[in-house]
Amino acid sequence: MKCEKIEKLLSPYLEDELTPEEKRAVVKHLKTCENCSLLFSLMEETKESLASIPELEVSESLLDRLHSIPSKKRRFKLRLPTFDFLVRPSLQPVLTVATVVLIMASFYFFGPNKSSIDKSISRQIHLGYSKIEKLYAKAESFTASLGEHKDNILVSLKNIKLLGGNED
Amino acid sequence: MLVNTYSKRVFNLSYQFAGSYQEAEDLTQDIFLKLYNSLSKYDFKRSFSAWLLTLTKNYLIDQYRRTKWEKKSRDDFNDHYLPSEAFENPEEGIMKEENKRTIWHGINNLTSEIRMAVILRDIQGKQYEEIAEIMSLPLGTVKSRINRGRLQLAKILKEKKERRNEM
Repeated sequence: MKCEKIEKLLSPYLEDELTPEEKRAVVKHLKTCENCSLLFSLMEETKESLASIPELEVSESLLDRLHSIPSKKRRFKLRLPTFDFLVRPSLQPVLTVATVVLIMASFYFFGPNKSSIDKSISRQIHLGYSKIEKLYAKAESFTASLGEHKDNILVSLKNIKLLGGNED
Repeated sequence: MLVNTYSKRVFNLSYQFAGSYQEAEDLTQDIFLKLYNSLSKYDFKRSFSAWLLTLTKNYLIDQYRRTKWEKKSRDDFNDHYLPSEAFENPEEGIMKEENKRTIWHGINNLTSEIRMAVILRDIQGKQYEEIAEIMSLPLGTVKSRINRGRLQLAKILKEKKERRNEM
């Protein structure tokens, strides 16, 4: 086995977690490879050193700080309303859209071309208005022409059998 | 109640991870604040201590990524840890203390995830299954991270010894 493969097996070997076959391969390699053998003994030393690091006691000042957290939190809550809902993930698309709208609005309000944008908007509005007026005039003329032929249309409709018209 | 039972565990994990006593105290306070805010989310089917350690681990790794502690140096090993009891062979004792110091500072060279796995296994002596639950990772990933961490630390120790022999 190559050194890289053996390196991956050193920890399980140290903790006796290898299959007998893997164990034999590691032992055989460590006997012949000085570098891996040294690495393994250093790994043992590392594990031993780490295990001997003791637990520290918590200082009195930290304990006082920790004990005062709940009351601090209560006082804080009474004074300020919480805006937690603003950071909800479901609000992210809404906030993104609002940001884009605000950016576009800022371009309009603070940009150098505000007056030209205003002019083009009012021109577009006038164009739209005149189109609607034309359409309205056309509609009026159409109803007038329809009125002229109203009698003829009614007679022909009455003559159609399907609609239950009279033959007289 | 929560403070008395769990502050030592949270503080020690923070200190072993961050390497600075002052930083560890501040982190412990932040973690307890976070704990009080998240208590409503606790799932009663889970072990409370594993849930708290997961919360601690997440907070420590988040802070590590934000502030990049690895650029900061760790406290000297003997600033807060007392030297071990006297050895029969004083030379061996000095060597062991020196190794411990090298490894303590070497922890800064490990990435946050590997560092956390090594601390939980080798300093705190937790079972692999427990670490997998705390870190929300598959067992195999935990084992390979611990192996990588130990190898990195062994290589740091090797370099240190080689430099010492050259002198």
